[in-house]
Amino acid sequence: MNVDKILKRYNSDRENLIQALHDIQDNTEGNYLRTGDLKKAADYFHMSLSEINGVVEFYSMFSKKPRGKYIIRVCQSPPCYIKGAFNVLGELKNLLGIDLNDTTKDKLFTLETTSCLGACDEAPVMSVNNIIYGKLNTEKIKNIIKHYREEKRGK
Amino acid sequence: MKKEIKKILISVEDKTIIEGVAEFEKIFKEKIKNKELEKSVKLSRTGTFGVNTKGISIVIYPGGVLYSDLKIHDIDKILNQHILKGIPVQELMPEPISERLSEHGFNPEEAKNENRIVLSNVGKINPESIDEYITSGGYNAVKAIAEEGLEPKDIIDIIKESGLRGRGGAGFPTGLKWEITAKESSDEKYIICNADEGEPGTSKDRLILEGDPHRIIEGMIIAGYAVGAEKGYVYIRGEYKISVERVVKAIKDAYKKELLGKDILGTGFTFDIELKKGAGAYVCGEETALIESIEGKRGNPRIKPPYPGEKGLHNKPTVVNNVETLANIAPIIVNGSKWFHSFGTEDCPGTKVFTLVGDIKYPGIIELPMGVTLREIVFGFGGGIKADRGLKAIHLGGSSGAVFDKSFLDVPLDFDSVKKQGGLLGSGSVLVIDNETDMRNYLENVLLFFKHESCGQCIPCRIGTARLYDLVKKLDKNGQNDVIISNMEHLTDVMFKSSLCPLGQSLIYPVKSIFKNFGNEFK
Amino acid sequence: MTKKVKIYVDNKEILAEEGANLLQVARDSGIDIPGLCYYEKVTPTGSCRLCLVKIEGENGMIPSCTIKVRDGLKVTAFDNELEDVRKTIVELLISEHKLGCMTCDTASSCALEDLAYRYNVTVDNLPYDVKNEFEPVDDSSPVLAYDPNKCIVCGRCVKACYEIQGKGIIDFIGRGIETRIGADLGDLWGNSACDGCGECIQACPVGALFEKASQGKGRKWEIEKVETICPYCGVGCRIEVEKKGNEIVRINGVDKGPANEGRLCVKGRFGYEYEMSEERLTTPLIKEKGKFRRASWSEALDIVADRFAAIKKNYGSDSIAGLASAKCTNEENYIFQKFMRAAIGTNNVDHCARLCHASTVAGLARAFGSGAMTNSIKEFEFADCILVTGSNTTETHPVIATYIKNAVLKHGAKLIVVDPRKIDLVKYATLWLRQKNGTDVAWANGMMNVIVNENLQDGKFIANRTEGFEEFKKVIEEYTPERVEKITGIPKEKIIEAARMYAGAANSSIVFSMGITQHVTGTDNVLSLANLALLTGNVGKLYSGVNPLRGQNNVQGACDLGSLPNVYPGYQKVKDPKIKEKFEKKWHVKLDDKVGLSVVEMMNAAHEGKVKAMYIMGENPMVSDPNLNHVEEALKNLDFLVVQDIFLTETAQLADVVLPAYSSFEKSGTFTNTERRIQLLNPVLRAPEGAKEDWEIIQEISTKMGYKMHYNNQGEIMDEAADVSPIYGGIHFNRLGKKGLQWPCRDDKDPGTVFLHEGKFSRGLGHFSPVDYIPPAELPDKEYPYLLSTGRMLFHYHTGTMTRKVTALNDFEPGPYAEISPEIAKKLKIKEGESIRVSSRRGSIITKARITERVAPESVFIPFHFAEAAANKLTNDVLDPIAKIPELKVAACKVEKI
Ligand SMILES: Nc1nc2c(c(=O)[nH]1)N[C@H]1C(S)=C(S)[C@@H](COP(=O)(O)OP(=O)(O)OC[C@H]3O[C@@H](n4cnc5c(=O)[nH]c(N)nc54)[C@H](O)[C@@H]3O)O[C@H]1N2
Ligand SMILES: Nc1nc2c(c(=O)[nH]1)N[C@H]1C(S)=C(S)[C@@H](COP(=O)(O)OP(=O)(O)OC[C@H]3O[C@@H](n4cnc5c(=O)[nH]c(N)nc54)[C@H](O)[C@@H]3O)O[C@H]1N2
Ligand SMILES: Cc1cc2nc3c(=O)[nH]c(=O)nc-3n(C[C@H](O)[C@H](O)[C@H](O)COP(=O)(O)O)c2cc1C
Ligand code: SF4
Ligand code: SF4
Ligand code: SF4
Ligand code: SF4
Ligand code: SF4
Ligand code: FES
Ligand code: FES
Ligand SMILES: [Mo]
Repeated sequence: MNVDKILKRYNSDRENLIQALHDIQDNTEGNYLRTGDLKKAADYFHMSLSEINGVVEFYSMFSKKPRGKYIIRVCQSPPCYIKGAFNVLGELKNLLGIDLNDTTKDKLFTLETTSCLGACDEAPVMSVNNIIYGKLNTEKIKNIIKHYREEKRGK
Repeated sequence: MKKEIKKILISVEDKTIIEGVAEFEKIFKEKIKNKELEKSVKLSRTGTFGVNTKGISIVIYPGGVLYSDLKIHDIDKILNQHILKGIPVQELMPEPISERLSEHGFNPEEAKNENRIVLSNVGKINPESIDEYITSGGYNAVKAIAEEGLEPKDIIDIIKESGLRGRGGAGFPTGLKWEITAKESSDEKYIICNADEGEPGTSKDRLILEGDPHRIIEGMIIAGYAVGAEKGYVYIRGEYKISVERVVKAIKDAYKKELLGKDILGTGFTFDIELKKGAGAYVCGEETALIESIEGKRGNPRIKPPYPGEKGLHNKPTVVNNVETLANIAPIIVNGSKWFHSFGTEDCPGTKVFTLVGDIKYPGIIELPMGVTLREIVFGFGGGIKADRGLKAIHLGGSSGAVFDKSFLDVPLDFDSVKKQGGLLGSGSVLVIDNETDMRNYLENVLLFFKHESCGQCIPCRIGTARLYDLVKKLDKNGQNDVIISNMEHLTDVMFKSSLCPLGQSLIYPVKSIFKNFGNEFK
Repeated sequence: MTKKVKIYVDNKEILAEEGANLLQVARDSGIDIPGLCYYEKVTPTGSCRLCLVKIEGENGMIPSCTIKVRDGLKVTAFDNELEDVRKTIVELLISEHKLGCMTCDTASSCALEDLAYRYNVTVDNLPYDVKNEFEPVDDSSPVLAYDPNKCIVCGRCVKACYEIQGKGIIDFIGRGIETRIGADLGDLWGNSACDGCGECIQACPVGALFEKASQGKGRKWEIEKVETICPYCGVGCRIEVEKKGNEIVRINGVDKGPANEGRLCVKGRFGYEYEMSEERLTTPLIKEKGKFRRASWSEALDIVADRFAAIKKNYGSDSIAGLASAKCTNEENYIFQKFMRAAIGTNNVDHCARLCHASTVAGLARAFGSGAMTNSIKEFEFADCILVTGSNTTETHPVIATYIKNAVLKHGAKLIVVDPRKIDLVKYATLWLRQKNGTDVAWANGMMNVIVNENLQDGKFIANRTEGFEEFKKVIEEYTPERVEKITGIPKEKIIEAARMYAGAANSSIVFSMGITQHVTGTDNVLSLANLALLTGNVGKLYSGVNPLRGQNNVQGACDLGSLPNVYPGYQKVKDPKIKEKFEKKWHVKLDDKVGLSVVEMMNAAHEGKVKAMYIMGENPMVSDPNLNHVEEALKNLDFLVVQDIFLTETAQLADVVLPAYSSFEKSGTFTNTERRIQLLNPVLRAPEGAKEDWEIIQEISTKMGYKMHYNNQGEIMDEAADVSPIYGGIHFNRLGKKGLQWPCRDDKDPGTVFLHEGKFSRGLGHFSPVDYIPPAELPDKEYPYLLSTGRMLFHYHTGTMTRKVTALNDFEPGPYAEISPEIAKKLKIKEGESIRVSSRRGSIITKARITERVAPESVFIPFHFAEAAANKLTNDVLDPIAKIPELKVAACKVEKI
């Protein structure tokens, strides 16, 4: 979707900045915020580039680098840690053949870590583009990855 | 005689989606159709049912019978037996809590039962239906204001008398908070619902947001009326996709019913609500960081004073309340402050929603009266330790709370009692740790969390969190643990005294309690 | 008046102003509470936590830098617990720091180094491991470098850039331990919009941000500091020059500088390299057979005196003309014009003000009786509405622009920009009106039409303090917004909105500069702005007035001291017999009562052979005058040309004799800045051997010609100037100190004048002048289809003699270019950076295309700093009939791709 159009959905109060950035990122192939779009947003919200950059850099959900279609974020906070979060991470690395913060060659998956996702009663937990999956085990992880690989093929 | 319609609620949420709930729902609907039951059965979606469920779960009313861990082949059984014959399917029901309680030597009658104020609608109504909320008594508090002509001051008095204390962690009296803002004179004031829920081990706000979003809206309207605010914000963490969707829908529906907007129910009172998403920062749960974030800035906490009550959003008086706090408001207005005192302890009336996590048999969310003991929660409602290992530790109140050992099991859980033990009730997270866990490793993980989540604004916390993380990694490696431990303790002391916001201050709880209660592991 | 209250810090009783900053109060009374993030000039941050104190009745430790003093406050600033916390914080900082004090230029003026010493924190006794992985230093900016390994993330630089400079180029990036400072989108500093003002460096308490060029030039303790005034523009920033030996190491803004409060722009801070250039003139030069040879002073001055005397004798005094200099001191200008008038006997003396604010002086003298800024620089911050027109303030008066931005960003003032170009200030503007060049009378009349129609004028002010209203009113009646829209291209709604905004604010201020003055209708334009102010009563008050921003560092002074063909020092008319008599008495000589020739008229007269000799001190007309081909012919046509400069300029190359002068870093004397403030210079460096001070040179020539001058120093000259010019009556060197004095300052007791025309205009009543719109002299046509305008840019100064010898400034902007609109570029298929030829009826240049929406669709803008592609080869030398200022802002041109 066109960035100007996304911006126009909001009035130019700075209050709407973070919401607009979400929308822009979600609608950008590669799940990230492009330089040109940030410039447009800065203009739209009457901010300097450094201010908008400071905001983008602060929040862990935003990225300035292109990422995969699906962003897998593995929770590393204590409750998930207790339930084997590091194993989950290890399995995902193996399964996807990438390291942390890398993207698979087919641009399908990016592997990240995150702090608590608020589903700790289901620990260990990860999210794929903000769908939260809990009670992870080897098989479930495999299924989830398979699910997304197929979803991609289906399209 | 009119045939009673049976209502089936199916829990659709992130975790059930991957279990194939969509497919399950589709087939369920087909089967209802095939059996020509469309007229007598209504299937609708709801949020999580909370503690005690696993996989795909449904509840059937009347009766509120809960089925859990369902597979597609279970559908027929439910339709044939429960719907058609009216006989519940025992084997699909989860183990009742009372049984677990007795297993651990409690008298189920005497044990404090789960007592739902906040979660009374969760899992019972369709959260996407404002009508169901209204039918269940929702918006009665707002109506009461309109009909009984309650003045803002009356509301504040009721909340003050109720003794309700903020459920966001600090336990600040809500009535007093409102009164402060009500007394400020300003052209604009704001109500903010803090739905950032980032404290590790806490998912109770999500349950409310997903399961009963109108409850929050109603609480905010009342808060707005009480303090003289015409605008409210719900700040939901960006990761809570479904919460966001449900709240957005709820706000829309409330506008349609003129429960939001201009001249609500003819009271002349105007109240608007806007939803703001966070974008991944634990510190934004801190009220002033949250305000900065709503303003579209980096989530750096502000120096207090001034408190948000005087200068908050856009420097206008602002009430920031936690989701659970706001969920208590409507019931209190409807049932009165005396009623509220019938739950919990004298200084902490009401209930608390706990999140049970970690090495526990039945992780989940449960609402219990304030003052329930750890033992009751862990061994009663939580079913004890998973795989029957020994209990080593309980990290109470979230990562910023203290870590207790077994000797604290009989501590009553309310703000003051926990504080007396050197800990925090915090968000009500109960993280159970079994004796397989190495406490040094655990502490390292806790410190990693803080290092990652420090906003970086003030020196003691920005560098302190990093140095603590470096130091904990050195433990056990060079045999000089005593020096390192005392360095770490001293550092957390200094951080406690000098950090700009409670994030940096609170590290003292996990660090010191782990060294104190589990010192033998660091010898 | 603020209340005084009593507070107690560690039991010491302190009397302080209520509401003052506790940390500042404590420090001012000698209690040295540490603190790194506190910076007096910006809002407190409270993030370093070093200034924590305990306050009786309050819990815990509280950052004193965030506390406002109130009566009875009892503070503990030092106890073991507080000191332990502070020491730990210093330890933490050191654990994250790349310690390198041995090679750090900040050493010995570094706040962290001081604290480490104070708390005895060393690498050896640190309870943490020392950091050993470091990030690269970002030295991509032409002027500064950022070392993240030394950054304590105090945020002072961030606030300095935003709150002081109003720019917001830098902000925090990252989070937690990874937090850093980043420019723009966090890419290299050098790729950002940072314009190198260096405010951030000045704010940095440690060595994380530093001047690249100063690195390794000297340790703080080897350095001597001298305060003087910036040599460039009319803001008159006070600078502190750090020098080692006879070399400048670094320049900082002086916090107590009255015009700048520590602020500087990139030229003032980094533009000093020319001063020590190898190209400085070090000896008089005499041209023989078309070539220069070195000569002794006595030989050179003899020749000058003899030739002037001979030409005067043969062709009369009026066959000689002189250009004084707005780069020279008041005293030198006084001496120069005295020399021309008394020794040569002509009023043919003028200077670059003619090309600049001649129309302002003429217009405002007519309207108010005095042609200077009515207000002071700092007042801008407190105006409620500021109308900026024809001033590209952020580039040409950068420090004044900071106060305008402060007004908008800190105090919510409304800013109206009326400019054909989308200048930087547009970003800050509530309203931007883009008029067609040269239509200023029309939009101003349009605004006044709205004001009168909507009855927004200040009737009381008009009745009590003005004259000529009725006649004036008739003219503006015809300027309906509809008609004005047609003339100016500004949508009528915007004219109406601007009128309401300007008339509606409590204190409105007008700021203008060359976009208004450099037109055939320059005087009319100025009169229109004066009318606007008179109509709404927005003049003669604090924060509110009509403010021409004077350009050169001492153009105000050069005018004040009489380097003009029609007035003696202090704007006393040469045609007034009484005045003439007074000067004849003082100067002991017969004086001429004819108004002399102005700049362009001199060139024309030289061209015609009527002027035979010229004396040019500190001007470079071979680049700065309009229609350069004509100027070159004129100067070549002279019998004798003397140029006195610090460099061998394009003009000097045509001279018969070149005389090497001192620069402003080398002399004392005074400059008068744009807010009428007379400020004292201090010699910083030794001048090149062989050069002389301008006034001394003139004095010797004059004496040799028989009109004796014997001043011992510039102070004596000012005493004489004060004696003959009433508005300078109270100006004496011993009164000027570090703050200077603002004229009018009539006697030794007069504290000077902050803003003009309070209660009464200099001329008595404010005068409304009816002014009709007249189009520019040359407009685009078929052959020359585009509108050409010329002016300036931030990094270079005029003819480039100084700034183009500064590496850093050349890094920012290496050479000539022309701003062309995307429309023109598209039509002519020109790409960014390509070579193009721009031609007008008078000449043609080759330059590089810069494609930008800053210029209007059919327009071209060329900065005139670059001799190799001199804009003035193209400009039109038609003059405003009253002020004789050329129309440098409008001409017709064509563009070709080559
Ligand atoms: N960096 C730097 N600073 C300088 C100087 C320098 O050379 N370099 N020179 C100094 C001197 S001597 C002077 S006089 C000042 C000059 O300072 P300014 O007057 O600010 O500079 P200019 O670039 O000449 O032109 C100012 C503005 O006039 C606008 N303009 C053009 N045509 C019109 C018009 O018809 N009407 C109106 N209203 N505006 C128009 C231009 O778009 C431009 O933005 O700068 C001083 N400061
Ligand atoms: N096209 C176009 N042309 C313009 C303008 C425009 O906007 N467009 N603007 C006009 C304006 S406003 C102005 S003010 C003029 C400026 O025109 P000029 O005054 O001619 O320009 P400068 O380059 O400042 O010239 C000053 C000279 O003084 C020398 N100098 C510096 N310090 C000293 C000193 O202490 N003693 C002596 N003796 N010499 C010294 C410098 O080396 C330099 O050669 O340009 C005008 N020309
Ligand atoms: C680091 C930090 C994180 C916090 N996170 C949350 C949160 O996620 N949700 C919340 O309601 N309160 C959170 N708080 C507490 C809030 O600052 C605030 O006290 C609370 O929202 C007030 O609501 P209450 O009065 O209803 O409890 C947090 C505080 C800190 C210091
Ligand atoms: S304590 Fe930590 S989170 Fe709070 S302001 Fe300081 S650095 Fe930020
Ligand atoms: S910044 Fe200060 S402490 Fe750091 S190396 Fe330089 S002088 Fe030393
Ligand atoms: S040099 Fe000036 S513009 Fe550049 S970052 Fe520093 S303060 Fe900002
Ligand atoms: S660069 Fe200097 S002023 Fe800026 S944050 Fe770092 S230490 Fe502070
Ligand atoms: S604004 Fe003018 S006086 Fe001030 S530093 Fe810049 S050039 Fe010099
Ligand atoms: S700790 Fe992993 S989701 Fe909360
Ligand atoms: S100086 Fe006060 S906190 Fe830094
Ligand atoms: Mo000028």
